[in-house]
Amino acid sequence: MTAVEMILAAVRSEWTKLRRPTLLWGTYGALAVIAALLTVLIFAQAGHNFGRGLNLMTAVLASPAGLLYAFGESAGLLGVVALCVAAAQLANEYSSGTLRNLLVRQPRRTVVLAGKYLGILIFLAGAVLVACVFGIVAAFVMAHVRGIPTAAWTSSVGLHDLGQGLGDVALSMLGYGTIGFVLGIIMRSPVSSIVVGLAFLLPFETILSVVVNGSARWLPGSLLDAVARGGTTNASFFAALVTAGAYLVGWAGLGVYLFVHRDVTS
Amino acid sequence: MTSEFVIETTGLSKRFGAIAAVDRVDLAIPAGVVSGFVGPNGAGKTTTMRMLLGLIRPSAGGGTVLGEALSAPERYLPRLGAMIEGPAFYAPLTGRANLATLAQLGRIPNPRVDEVLAVVNLTDRADDPVSEYSHGMRQRLGIAAALLPDPALLVLDEPTNGLDPAGIAGMRSVLRSVAGRGATVFVSSHLLAEVEQICHHVVIIEAGRLGFQGSIDALVAAQSPELLARAERAEDLPRLAARLGEMNRPARVDGEWLYVAAPENFAAELNRLAAEIGITLVHLSSRRASLEEAFFARTGAGRSLAGPEAT
Repeated sequence: MTAVEMILAAVRSEWTKLRRPTLLWGTYGALAVIAALLTVLIFAQAGHNFGRGLNLMTAVLASPAGLLYAFGESAGLLGVVALCVAAAQLANEYSSGTLRNLLVRQPRRTVVLAGKYLGILIFLAGAVLVACVFGIVAAFVMAHVRGIPTAAWTSSVGLHDLGQGLGDVALSMLGYGTIGFVLGIIMRSPVSSIVVGLAFLLPFETILSVVVNGSARWLPGSLLDAVARGGTTNASFFAALVTAGAYLVGWAGLGVYLFVHRDVTS
Repeated sequence: MTSEFVIETTGLSKRFGAIAAVDRVDLAIPAGVVSGFVGPNGAGKTTTMRMLLGLIRPSAGGGTVLGEALSAPERYLPRLGAMIEGPAFYAPLTGRANLATLAQLGRIPNPRVDEVLAVVNLTDRADDPVSEYSHGMRQRLGIAAALLPDPALLVLDEPTNGLDPAGIAGMRSVLRSVAGRGATVFVSSHLLAEVEQICHHVVIIEAGRLGFQGSIDALVAAQSPELLARAERAEDLPRLAARLGEMNRPARVDGEWLYVAAPENFAAELNRLAAEIGITLVHLSSRRASLEEAFFARTGAGRSLAGPEAT
């Protein structure tokens, strides 16, 4: 049996768990609601000045990139869900003791890990797609309600921006998923790994970016946010992609090392 | 496989910091036997089994399992089934789906899932979520998972834990059936009577060290034989015990019974002695020590196998 066949078998095994209705439709539904809700809110407030910087021009939404503008804005929240799902899936294998069953049936730990990682990435990619579809539907509905022109959305430039925006958010989600996945390996407890992940990405990064000038250029959450938006004023898309990629490669390397070499005592 | 042993270790050790959980254990489990692995809680049974399954790495020593090096579990685990530290499953998934995840991972044909579900009598509940299973059903599902690869070696950690008498009888039947088709079963248990019923071979571990390994018959035979006697009047027995003590034949009275540490051929002399001091014996027989008695005699442990900690 080749390594590829073994990994595909591990992906199929992982999918048997991931496709259970409560997890699959629960996660996809939550992300769809987040994407749709944020789209509705952004379209609703466009052109109004509510203070606190929420004074988006309707012209931005009418532009070719306007269709996925709101979806890009929701990437941070989608990423948090991705992190939680990935962390919980991995850590739960340790805390519930099911990992020992898996490693007895497939002792090549890199194969088990690769199968789980690919399975979760496919799961998250599907989640991005579903969320995107709901975001698009919500955008068209809200554009009609607000009288925002949509012709540019379906132009060739608009479709190109749509594909690019979707890809950027998907890349960002995979990054958040990878962070959660490795946290699950390190912490071996779903609650601890989610708490640590959220504590770092939300309050810690937010405070650090306020206190340390220019830190948004190297903080992982900010970089993934920049990737999702196709670049920000803090970091260009390319710089964010390269820096976040370097972080994730190192982070994933740590995860692989621990998963392969650490004793399974639970 | 060239060795007559399916599990053979030399100096197998595992340390957790300053604690030696398993200390230079030399196992030799013959092929085709049901071998019981007994010892108090915290003696190192589960740690030893985890090392055999490649879940934890030995601190020192090594060995072979099914003829393959312990350091290369990927070579022997496809022929091995195991349940360690109780059954662990994904509660929201059905029993069948749980087994399917393992079958897919190990590239085991899917029809085998139905076969093992039938072996453990779970076919009717196979499509229910494991969260709705009783402890006994989860235990049986754990055995089904262990049987998935049609194993040449079955390693089970306390498989009868929490089972009712019917469940224990069912488990016994499954283990006998597995052994009956030539597989080796290595099973840990703290129920010595249970081990005595299903095992031919026993390994005793205490405080991480190997205390004994060999056939149960050999272990029991090494114990002093006993004679059992019952008198017409129980109140006469202490007098007879005292007289035996004077003759350097240790004896104890337990209720209506007198136990005398003596071989079978002492029975006639005991009968004569009783008659000489005016005691009529109404029962006289020899008795083989139980595994439990042999275990406690060898380990010097208390009557309980429960220890301060589990491994």
